[in-house]
Amino acid sequence: METLLFYLFSVVAVGSAILLVSMKNIVRALFLFFVVLFSVAGLYVFALADFVAITQILVYVGGVLVLMLFAFMLSNKELLNQLQNGTSHFFALPVWQALFIAVSFLAVLVYTMVQATAYEPEWITASRDAGAIIRPTDNTVQHLGVHLMTHYLLPFEVVSVLLMMALIGAAHLTRKEDRI
Amino acid sequence: MAFYFTYMLVAALLFGFIALFTLFAVYAERKLAGFVQDRLGPMETGKYGSLQTFADILKLIQKEFITPSAADGVLFAMAPIIIFLAVFIGFAVIPWAPGLAPANLNLGIFYVIAVISVDAIGLLMAGWGSNNKFSLLGAMRAVAQIVSYEIPAGIALIAAIMITQTLNMQEITLNQGIETENTLLFMGLWDVSGIGGLLAWNVFQAPHLLLAYVIFFIASLAECNRAPFDIPEAESELVGGFHTEYGGLRFAFIFLAEYTMMFLVAIIGVVVFLGGWNTPLPNIGALKFADWTTGLVWGIWWTLSKTLLVVGIQMWIRWTLPRLRADQLMSLCWKVLTPLAFLCMAISGIWRVMVMA
Repeated sequence: METLLFYLFSVVAVGSAILLVSMKNIVRALFLFFVVLFSVAGLYVFALADFVAITQILVYVGGVLVLMLFAFMLSNKELLNQLQNGTSHFFALPVWQALFIAVSFLAVLVYTMVQATAYEPEWITASRDAGAIIRPTDNTVQHLGVHLMTHYLLPFEVVSVLLMMALIGAAHLTRKEDRI
Repeated sequence: MAFYFTYMLVAALLFGFIALFTLFAVYAERKLAGFVQDRLGPMETGKYGSLQTFADILKLIQKEFITPSAADGVLFAMAPIIIFLAVFIGFAVIPWAPGLAPANLNLGIFYVIAVISVDAIGLLMAGWGSNNKFSLLGAMRAVAQIVSYEIPAGIALIAAIMITQTLNMQEITLNQGIETENTLLFMGLWDVSGIGGLLAWNVFQAPHLLLAYVIFFIASLAECNRAPFDIPEAESELVGGFHTEYGGLRFAFIFLAEYTMMFLVAIIGVVVFLGGWNTPLPNIGALKFADWTTGLVWGIWWTLSKTLLVVGIQMWIRWTLPRLRADQLMSLCWKVLTPLAFLCMAISGIWRVMVMA
């Protein structure tokens, strides 16, 4: 049953992603993006990353996607028509750079997968032998919190400073400029 | 496989309960509105109009599906389902009684906050799919409001969670009554672990949590799009808001989602701040009121009665206060509630370190 659900989520994620990029109606494409994000969140649950799954829904669905929809609905109709009248063929390549990036990313992923299955990193073998694995009933939030505040404190702080900068920048951009 | 059957049964039971709750809540709301406005409310159908909502739902079920010709058919049909499901799946982690919760998730409260935010997508879908100016404007207002008020609501909840130190809703409830293994302090001074009752609830464990609950309550009113925050459905300006074009069963689902949302936010507030299934009666010396009134059936009774009381207050506020203007709405959220919620969160951190250590 679990395997069945896993494949169901995967098929929905990949299928709707393909449909999304080939769709001409932008609003429907955005709502399909919602389906993609949701099924990817489902896949995270199968990787026992329940916190990441819920954060995905909270941040991407509740935040980013709503903002994208807002930006779309508030933007100029002419601009949208221009966007929607792009190339009509599925295999047309107006931006070959994108294809290059996509293919090289796929190559990196496949290479990593082959490497990892052929030569398993030592720390994975060691912790599996020691029985240090996460179980579905474990409280992952506690581990996350403790590690964020000890091992990964510097990256955590750097990210928070970056976000703060983005916030200040956004607030500055929305200000009315009285005198230049 | 029996397992999955149980899950489905639980979901069906919850749906039945919600449908029944909505029927009675609509009737109660109309009667309450009548009382506030000094009239009688529904009186014709059944004794004291008690069959009015059954008649209404029968009418809604019989109606045909009408899709406006200019509407986006798929989005228009999907929207009510998404709006309802986003609220309905939140019930998966709500504890009803000691040991009785559909799913005892470690991330309970976080999960609820996340799935409620999906509601906004459904509203935008309805607004855009209807292809109608009023619907789109209503949806925009609704979503802007929901996204803004999620922030004070979420931070007020975090303030309470920092005190309880768990995201599991069952454990949050457990730590507000006599069955806890921790020491509970009334206002940080008086040990009430053995006394329980009203005194051990989260709102009374620290004085600032009372403020946090008020913030959460106001923000939750805005999240259900209810008066005084109902500009998305302001009928004097927008016809009916995002559900202008809906009729029949689809409208019924949008309406059901609104009442489900009311119940959901009320029960979240009850679980996190007002002790969930814990009894309000404390142990006084030899009179072990708290011990006597804790248990499975008592748990369900206390959860339900507290939640229905909060829902009642939501209705009372709706028919008493006038609607806020859009700019007042936003400045209330960003200039009053959000800073206060942040203050509560900061006090919670200090409280945890200084008082509860």
